[in-house]
Amino acid sequence: MSKSKRELREQRREAERAAVAAESRRRRIRNLLGAAGLAVVLVVAGIAISAAGGAKAKPVAQSSAAKLVAGIPEQNGVLGDPKAPITVTEYLDPQCPICAEASKANLPDLINNYVRTGKVKLQARTLSFIGPDSVTAAKFAHGAEQQGKLWAFLETLYASQGQENSGYVTDSFLSDVAKASGVDASKAKAFADGASAQAALDQADGDAQALKIDSTPSFTVTKGNGKPEVVAVGLDDLTNKLDKALS
Amino acid sequence: MTRAAAIVVAVIGLGIATYLTIVHYTGGVSVCAIAHGCETVQKSDYSKLAGVPVALLGMLGYVGILAALIRDDERSRDVAAFISILGFGFSAWLTYTEVALINAICVWCVASAICMTILAALNVSRVLTVSPPELARVR
Repeated sequence: MSKSKRELREQRREAERAAVAAESRRRRIRNLLGAAGLAVVLVVAGIAISAAGGAKAKPVAQSSAAKLVAGIPEQNGVLGDPKAPITVTEYLDPQCPICAEASKANLPDLINNYVRTGKVKLQARTLSFIGPDSVTAAKFAHGAEQQGKLWAFLETLYASQGQENSGYVTDSFLSDVAKASGVDASKAKAFADGASAQAALDQADGDAQALKIDSTPSFTVTKGNGKPEVVAVGLDDLTNKLDKALS
Repeated sequence: MTRAAAIVVAVIGLGIATYLTIVHYTGGVSVCAIAHGCETVQKSDYSKLAGVPVALLGMLGYVGILAALIRDDERSRDVAAFISILGFGFSAWLTYTEVALINAICVWCVASAICMTILAALNVSRVLTVSPPELARVR
């Protein structure tokens, strides 16, 4: 009889434990759903802020970027004295943020101390592997090249760069960049829409593949009619390599 | 056991986020196995949220999770799960931006996203588990 009482007591305890566990689980699920709901709201708000910040291009001003190359002759996209003994070629993508960084960190020294002094001439190979905005911008850049303004256009574009592949490279954006860099936008657009612009992009891709260049910016140095040599990738210091090549 | 595992993962995540925050503020370049991927991601506009570096936000998130893991009561479990879910959601968005918008992979950011995913799973499971002390109250 007493054994039966113990069993009953144990059964009651088990039932109470099960009830406590069930109630606790319900409460925890409620708390979890509340926390998850609040987290989702905050994540969505964060994404909205992040996406808005990432997609916008900087407003194109009458940029000082183009001043870097002002007064330097440019022919067929080659900046500087055509008789310069060394050719530096930058493989770039107009959308690449490190190319924009390099244009601020490395190019002023390169242009002021080597190109302006006639030691080096600078040319560009516009790649477009980042995405559709790169293709649009690169074709338009070749339109600027036809007007002897490739480098002024590229420098101004970098200063106004938006987030990659966010669709910011619109006709209106390119027109503003062209205006700020002294490029005739309608002529550049007409060239960009033609087959020659695509051919220029294909040639740049072919040159990059031949040198196994797969990231931008990459800089090659060519002595006279020699073979180009990749000397710097990313934000590497070009100066030492150029001094060696010139010595 | 789950709590101990969560502490280990949160410490690893905190280390990664602290490293990325230092790199951000010192303007350095992080050690990266994928050529320039980390540089590209860190210099992209998505690396900040309303002007605040996301690495710093991640660091604060891991500190919050660790603080919530110090105690093992129901409220602390809820807080740890909330921050982990928040971190997991935002990490998922940042991973999407790397793959689909920036076209560059930052291995450190991916590692942190993995930490947040594990923490979300562990901390949600902690919330759903009824603790023995709670059952012990039944007399």
